[in-house]
Amino acid sequence: MGESMPADVEPRRPPLRQRETRPRRFLLLVARHAVLIGLALMFALPLLFMVLQSLMPISQAKTTAMWPSHFEWGNYREVFDRVPLATYFVNTLKVCALATIGTVVSCVPVAYAFSHLQWRGRTAVFVLVLSTMMLPYQVLFVSQYEIFTSLGWINSILPLTVPAFFADAFSIFLLRQFFLTLPPDVLAAARVDGAGEFGVLARVVVPMAKPGIMAVAIFQFLFSWSDFFGPNIYLADERSLTLAVGLVRLNTALAKTGESNLTMAASVAFVVPILFVFFFAQKVFIEGVTLTGTKG
Amino acid sequence: MLALLSPWLIGFFVFILYPIANSLYWSFTVKRYGQPARWVGLGNYRLLLDNPDLALALKNTVYLALVGLPIRLLIAILCASLLARPRRGNGAYRLMFYVPSVVPAVASGALFFFLLKQGGPIASGLDLFGVEAPLWFRDPAWAKPALIMVGTWALGDVMLIFLAGIVDIPRSLYEAIELDGAGRWARFRHVTLPMISPVIFFTLLTGMIGVLQSFDQAFVFSQAVRKGRLTGEPDGSLLTYAMLQLRYFQDGRIGIASAMAWVMFLITLLITGAMLASRRRWVHTAAGDQ
Repeated sequence: MGESMPADVEPRRPPLRQRETRPRRFLLLVARHAVLIGLALMFALPLLFMVLQSLMPISQAKTTAMWPSHFEWGNYREVFDRVPLATYFVNTLKVCALATIGTVVSCVPVAYAFSHLQWRGRTAVFVLVLSTMMLPYQVLFVSQYEIFTSLGWINSILPLTVPAFFADAFSIFLLRQFFLTLPPDVLAAARVDGAGEFGVLARVVVPMAKPGIMAVAIFQFLFSWSDFFGPNIYLADERSLTLAVGLVRLNTALAKTGESNLTMAASVAFVVPILFVFFFAQKVFIEGVTLTGTKG
Repeated sequence: MLALLSPWLIGFFVFILYPIANSLYWSFTVKRYGQPARWVGLGNYRLLLDNPDLALALKNTVYLALVGLPIRLLIAILCASLLARPRRGNGAYRLMFYVPSVVPAVASGALFFFLLKQGGPIASGLDLFGVEAPLWFRDPAWAKPALIMVGTWALGDVMLIFLAGIVDIPRSLYEAIELDGAGRWARFRHVTLPMISPVIFFTLLTGMIGVLQSFDQAFVFSQAVRKGRLTGEPDGSLLTYAMLQLRYFQDGRIGIASAMAWVMFLITLLITGAMLASRRRWVHTAAGDQ
């Protein structure tokens, strides 16, 4: 916990330095890295085991072996043969793309109204928006299901994408946080030049708030990619499933046979695109998570 | 203004307000999809009240909230405070600690089902130390700890939020307390903790609501143990509140599923209200803060 102390950063901080002699400081450094490396292993090893298991030949997968005797890349082909993973991929991508577009298109104007415009009741309505963030999905789906059934949307991706076009609280909140960092003068100047609110939004706010919009888009993408509860309710037909549902069914089916190498191969295929997105957009991503925790 | 707000307004009425009101009405009825609802007054609630499954689901969910959530938050604070000051290597550690939290819940569920299985990597690892691994998914006493383990593995997002909170603490506060000769623990206890108490408040509140919804990994585990009805195998130890509600939903008992939704709604309100009320007593507010 001592790392919350500032002493090591700036050389001119005296009190601690004087007390901590050189060997003691060295020991602390070693202890600190020992703890950090231990933690890092706990976080990283599961993923390593996932990859290793996915490459194990079946004869070995059922034993206690941890390292594959040879890398069985055929596992990946086999799992794609056994379940229509490619179809799941396409379905998942469709859901993600549409939900992401919907979220961005609907949340940007709303977040703008809550950040740079003054109107009566703004605070009250914003509190209402925030309070809906607390609502568990379980409270809503029982009744939403009937709406979607009556529209004939079951077994389609519509229940998973259409609501995204109606602005969710979390994305509004996050976008607003980004919008608030924009200098009001620039927006005011655009208004003086005769731009209407939609003009200011399209020509000034959106270009300046690109990192924020990216963050919201990435979060929605990851949410849709990972979501299990919704697809599990609305998709029943084998060909309509998303990867998350497909993976759970595979895991359930193969738990009996012990073919964990195939389950792990499917998991790797499911996780790698997300890790790719994450590493690609790390900075935007981390800034987004950090902003979630700060108050508006 | 209305034009800008319209996406949210429409969504609020159609996808939030109407469903809440509708499920309130249904919760007083016997209802199946495609059939008219039949009024039964408090019947569903009474049925829930002496339903052993509901008691079990609540017990499991409370366990996750009182044991799992504090563990997750404590380790996240520990990780964040280890990494708060800019030092060589911290970027790499931060990345490694964070990555598990982007892994989808069902994937980490499948992963830990494999890691914890009999003869799996964790059992082999424990074996090295001469410790016999428990039967995580057979033994009702060990299934929830397994669930908590996966949740703790994915603490990266909470850690980042704490990290931001700690980095924001003015250095002068530490200097002041060091002049008084405070040690590490005192610095943490009297500066770091109070200064990040708003962040703790936020993560506790969102964490509680998250726990109330916990489903994905419990579902992955229990279905792998025994496929079929949502009973939360082994022996109902993984039956969460959300899982029980889904069971009633899938059985077509929409009235009871709606009553459970409303109870969940009320619990959420209660938790939020209680936490807001307790806020003044333990959450530090700086001048200018709201």
